[in-house]
Amino acid sequence: MHKLFQKTALVGAFVLAAGAAVAEYPEKPIEVIVGYSAGGGTDVMARTAAPFIEKYLGDGASLVVKNMPGASGQIGVTEVANADPDGYTLGTFNLPGMMARTIDRKADYDRESFTYLANVVNDPNVIVTAKSSGLDTMDKLIEAAKADPGAITVGMSSLGGDDHFMLIKLEGLTESEFTIVPFKGSAPARTALMGGHVAMGILNISEVASFQEELNVLGVATTERSDFAPELPTLQEQGFDVVNGSMRGFVAPAGLPEDVVAKLDAAFAQLASDPDFLQAMKDTANPVEVVRGEEFKALTSDLYDLANQVWQETPWN
Amino acid sequence: MYSDLLHALPEVFALTNFIAVIIGVLAGIVVGAMPGLSATMAISVLVPFTFGLEPLVALGLMAGIYNGAMYGGAIPAVLLRIPGTPAAVATTFDGYPMAQKGQGGFALQVAVVSSSIGGIASAFALMLLAPPLSKVTLLFGPAEVFWVAVFGLASIIFLLGGNPVKGLISACFGVFVSVIGSDPIYGNDRFTFGQLELLDGINIVILLVGLYALPPVIDLLETPLKTDSVEGEKLGTEPIWKALPKMKGYWKTWLRGSFIGIWIGILPGAGGSMAAFMSYNEARRSSKKPDDWGKGEPEGVAAAETANNADTASALIPALTLGIPGTAVAAVMLGGLLVHGLQPGPMLFRDNPDVVFGFMWQFLFGAILLVLLGGSLATNSFARLLNLPRPLLGSIIIVLMLIGVYSIHGRMFDVYMMLGFGAVGWVMDKLKFPLPPVVLGLILGAFAEENLRLALRIGRGDWAVLFKNTTSLVLVALTVAVVVGPMIKRRFIDSRKKEGEA
Repeated sequence: MHKLFQKTALVGAFVLAAGAAVAEYPEKPIEVIVGYSAGGGTDVMARTAAPFIEKYLGDGASLVVKNMPGASGQIGVTEVANADPDGYTLGTFNLPGMMARTIDRKADYDRESFTYLANVVNDPNVIVTAKSSGLDTMDKLIEAAKADPGAITVGMSSLGGDDHFMLIKLEGLTESEFTIVPFKGSAPARTALMGGHVAMGILNISEVASFQEELNVLGVATTERSDFAPELPTLQEQGFDVVNGSMRGFVAPAGLPEDVVAKLDAAFAQLASDPDFLQAMKDTANPVEVVRGEEFKALTSDLYDLANQVWQETPWN
Repeated sequence: MYSDLLHALPEVFALTNFIAVIIGVLAGIVVGAMPGLSATMAISVLVPFTFGLEPLVALGLMAGIYNGAMYGGAIPAVLLRIPGTPAAVATTFDGYPMAQKGQGGFALQVAVVSSSIGGIASAFALMLLAPPLSKVTLLFGPAEVFWVAVFGLASIIFLLGGNPVKGLISACFGVFVSVIGSDPIYGNDRFTFGQLELLDGINIVILLVGLYALPPVIDLLETPLKTDSVEGEKLGTEPIWKALPKMKGYWKTWLRGSFIGIWIGILPGAGGSMAAFMSYNEARRSSKKPDDWGKGEPEGVAAAETANNADTASALIPALTLGIPGTAVAAVMLGGLLVHGLQPGPMLFRDNPDVVFGFMWQFLFGAILLVLLGGSLATNSFARLLNLPRPLLGSIIIVLMLIGVYSIHGRMFDVYMMLGFGAVGWVMDKLKFPLPPVVLGLILGAFAEENLRLALRIGRGDWAVLFKNTTSLVLVALTVAVVVGPMIKRRFIDSRKKEGEA
């Protein structure tokens, strides 16, 4: 009797599974794992994007955001990497952080653990200086850094993040040397700049846009002026060829079925040009730049190589 | 700016917005009263839901919860010696002895009135002085913040009385716990034993619940047959308007507590518990009969509760103007603000005056409502809990503790850790080691380490950077005064005694 029951259950499960493959994706709620607490930048991106992705997946699709904060996002992203690749577990993905964590500590995932859906936010780095420092142009700043190597203190949000890589790029390009002061997060770094406790800062454009009167914003690390704050000049305009930023997007576990990938890709493609979505992102300080599929994967690989190279030359812990 | 303030008022009184504040205050009192559930947690649970709410409804709920929880924490602190929130630790010092003397009801009334006064003062500071006060925050760079932490630790160890050596050992234990996790500069693992769960360090609520709630619960269960001396009818609850005249002598304590709370609130990181401790210390120092403190002096409850509510709204000053939250709760609230497109910074007040100033009004009304809602309703119903049989009460608290700790990150690991701290707390309790320095050690230890290391990086390794400006030097002087002051005073008293004998 017991065995019969087991068999029935097994057959039943197969029938259900077969049914699932035939039925249209998605037929149950999709969980989106965010590796940070509710209300953080990544969480706000996920929750802002969720209703639009639901709309473009159609058929009453529903996305449920689940926060799994801890270990700079590592706990959440590990959960995504190890989830079933059935399209019902997606996750947010931060660059270069998620790749840097595979280099500077032991991680249970790597580049190949994910199906890359879309990068949605690209928040470019900016170079700012304290008003009290008197360093109000890039040339003055670099000159001061060269005159006394290490004399310029640079506030940033952490080591091994986009701010840090940005500074490494700048140091390489200008053959100068700075002293890094890694605060816990960008807001304390920005406050220390406003109080004149550090001379220079590397932040992201969304973090300085409303502080332009309190700080000298010297340049943005993009190829073209950012829509987010078009009045700010790029570094390239001033002869410094540095492009860098912090990126946030969506991934799924590796080995997602192709039809599911196609559906999700189509949804993200429509999302990229939805004016309501773009406005909502602008309101929540998220500069949008959607990069999908293979291109997103290539971007991740490039950033991994950069992080790895920096790590080989100047390990940060 | 002040016309914007008035302009925002009508919206605040819109029915749904006002009801949100009322619900928030009630929910906050309940959450605060449950050991293990804190305002930080309640608001983090709320944030995802606020995506679908009108801004002032969402913010009203948050303002209400914050105010309510800071008082709610006093309820179990007074009745059971279990602080409901980290900020209520100092409330246990005199609140619990009062309850044992049969003045539990009066202690809760003092707590609610003081909480409300602190909250009102803080709301006014936020409404009227936010821009100038945020300038004060800018004076505090890593070196200055390091000294604030040292000052806080020194005052707790040396002023809290009793045995400074035991206090120091307790504080060292707290500081050691703060070291666990990834180091604040390089991110190297320290004492994590490869556990990903330990990378972010140990959440203060886990430590607090284990250390503070478990030992009293064990006591409750150890003596199941002993009937509690604090019985319902002896709680001494009388209508609040009759209790009020008894409190008129506390105005100095209220004033001092409000000032200290607002001040600590605008400094990043330290938060309600440090404010409550400092206010308690200062009030005791200036009291005419300091020996009664710790034995059931209502003014001690007033001092602690005023200050831990006075840092609520003021913690939002650096949060709103600079994006750096003064407390853990304010940090979560920042998330709630961002959800509604309110980005902290100087533009916030210009871009969204109605919502921002409305939010400030809600803080004020939350604080006022506290007296009405917390005064009669909550105090009476919670006090009745004590009539429950002791084993039942103990079991209920254990369940609440487990749920509370589990729900912080949704993992059993934290629950085991809490039980471990419970064992440590029980031993410390039996050996008469003071527990407050552990809590402060955890909060301020991490804070001191991070800022010391940042300051030294800024100074390129030169320790002189710690003494470079006036703010630092003033803080150093205060610290020295706190450490040396009591010793000199004791000597002075001793030598006087000798003279008297001679």
